Amino acid sequence: MMTAEEYEESLRRLNLNVYMFGERVENVVDNPIIRPSMKAVAATYELANRPEHEDIMTATSHVTGKKINRFTHIHQSIDDLVKKSKMGRLLGAYTGCCFQRCVGMDTLNALSMTTYDIDAKYGTDYNKRFIEYLKYVQEKDLVCCGAMTDPKGDRSLRPHQQKDPDLYVRVVEERADGIVVRGAKVHQTGAVNSHEIIVMPTITMREEDKDYAISFALPSDAKGITYVIGRQSCDTRKLEQGDIDRGNIYFGGLEALVIFDDVFVPWERVFMYKEYDFSGQLVEQFASYHRQSYSCKVGLGDVLIGAAQTIAEYNGVDRASHIKDKIIEMNHLNETLYCGAIACASEGHREPSGTYYVNTLLANVHKQNVTRFPFEIARLAQDIAGGLMVTLPSERDFRSSDIGKWMDKYYKGRSDIPTEYRIRMLRLIENMTLGTAAVGYLTESMHGAGSPQAQRIMISRQVNLKQKQRLAKKLCGIVEE
Amino acid sequence: MGKVKVGLKYCGGCNPDYDRVKAVEYIKEQLGDAIELVPAQTEDTDMVLVVEGCEVCCVDLAPFSSRPVIIVKSEEDAQSFVREIKARYEH
Repeated sequence: MMTAEEYEESLRRLNLNVYMFGERVENVVDNPIIRPSMKAVAATYELANRPEHEDIMTATSHVTGKKINRFTHIHQSIDDLVKKSKMGRLLGAYTGCCFQRCVGMDTLNALSMTTYDIDAKYGTDYNKRFIEYLKYVQEKDLVCCGAMTDPKGDRSLRPHQQKDPDLYVRVVEERADGIVVRGAKVHQTGAVNSHEIIVMPTITMREEDKDYAISFALPSDAKGITYVIGRQSCDTRKLEQGDIDRGNIYFGGLEALVIFDDVFVPWERVFMYKEYDFSGQLVEQFASYHRQSYSCKVGLGDVLIGAAQTIAEYNGVDRASHIKDKIIEMNHLNETLYCGAIACASEGHREPSGTYYVNTLLANVHKQNVTRFPFEIARLAQDIAGGLMVTLPSERDFRSSDIGKWMDKYYKGRSDIPTEYRIRMLRLIENMTLGTAAVGYLTESMHGAGSPQAQRIMISRQVNLKQKQRLAKKLCGIVEE
Repeated sequence: MGKVKVGLKYCGGCNPDYDRVKAVEYIKEQLGDAIELVPAQTEDTDMVLVVEGCEVCCVDLAPFSSRPVIIVKSEEDAQSFVREIKARYEH
């Protein structure tokens, strides 16, 4: 396993083609806007190397028998699935943001099942290729970016019907030694902090879309890949002097547009090639795992609840009954999320490939809750924090030799609490509810791993309504032929 | 009595009720030279100290079946452990 320091050094050896604000980023690792996101991924290495977290953060590889980072593990038991949910809460609480590495873990696990099932039907050797690739990822302890979401263009049209055929990633050339791919993947979490990019289809493909039914892995600095960093609210505060106005002074999440401009993929890294009838399965299995992964938001909720309670104390209102009740409500919502994350893992099962898979109904119910509860928790945090959170002057005003004394005087809460503590806590709440971290805590909770309607469709498919009707009819005496 | 060799094992710490690392620091501070803390996988320890973050106590104890196991799942348990070792050391 790599240490956090070794991970950072490994990124320095990559030659990524990254753009931000219209310019190429020459030093990705040290860029002040990108670096907090790298540090959040590095936390997945840091905690795995600590004895007080190794039980959750590490696992034993089923292919090599070696100790590995859980983010590269293929789940071999219900206990593995439960530990994955717990790991999400742990890292969410530790970083207060998206730590970006779960998407690769979910991709690896979905591919372990889908490649096996394709081989069973068609006699192909995708699973063998995949296992060799997995060994490489586990041995090197790599970060994989799981790339699913295509730009999609006109949503009413199938991929092959689009005016521009590149709006879904597709194969444009087949060679003896591999394939050439073109297209893009949007809002790719942690892409510029990854060693590998693993591409999957974004929707169920049909025969006429089979050029789009492909899955493959590439080194993140492969020739022809370009990254364009996504903007976040308040992102340029990271360029300012001081650290208070950043809210979270250590960590942050980050997304990018990933463009594949005729990129060559050798056959040994192709895991699905035009088997369109398995594209839906891969999407569904990845999505269900990834919906479980939103256990991370429970950890972020822990941080936000802690911040809300603390600012209530700093403001001297923590004993008010309505404040206490709001804190109770925040905890109720947060722990309800945790119930779903644990339940979908505990009710998982073994697939023919040997991989353990979450209960898809419960994973979708969990994620559906995640599309709602963090918004209510954030609303209550803002309610408790008060409007000061969005009207506070900047850190430079607090540091000003001219007006700093007034900042300190008029922004004081309780007399025994330094004004700076109060400001720092308000900035953290701002960061999580409408600043850079709100990308992860709120909008990602809404749309990540599929928008709310995607879960509702899955819930309607998974629920056994007929059985529920039978129960009702029996109890009221309806006997049907 | 000689130094007590103790194998240390933490749970994963997903959502602990107290600071487990601080509790172990307290034990080290209180017991000083009376104990030697080593990783739990070290076979020849006098006992294994399992530091759990909550009542779930999720650590798999099977690998430690040949040795006495003491479970700490709160700050109070850490204090009890210190008292027990001190009593043993004094005798």
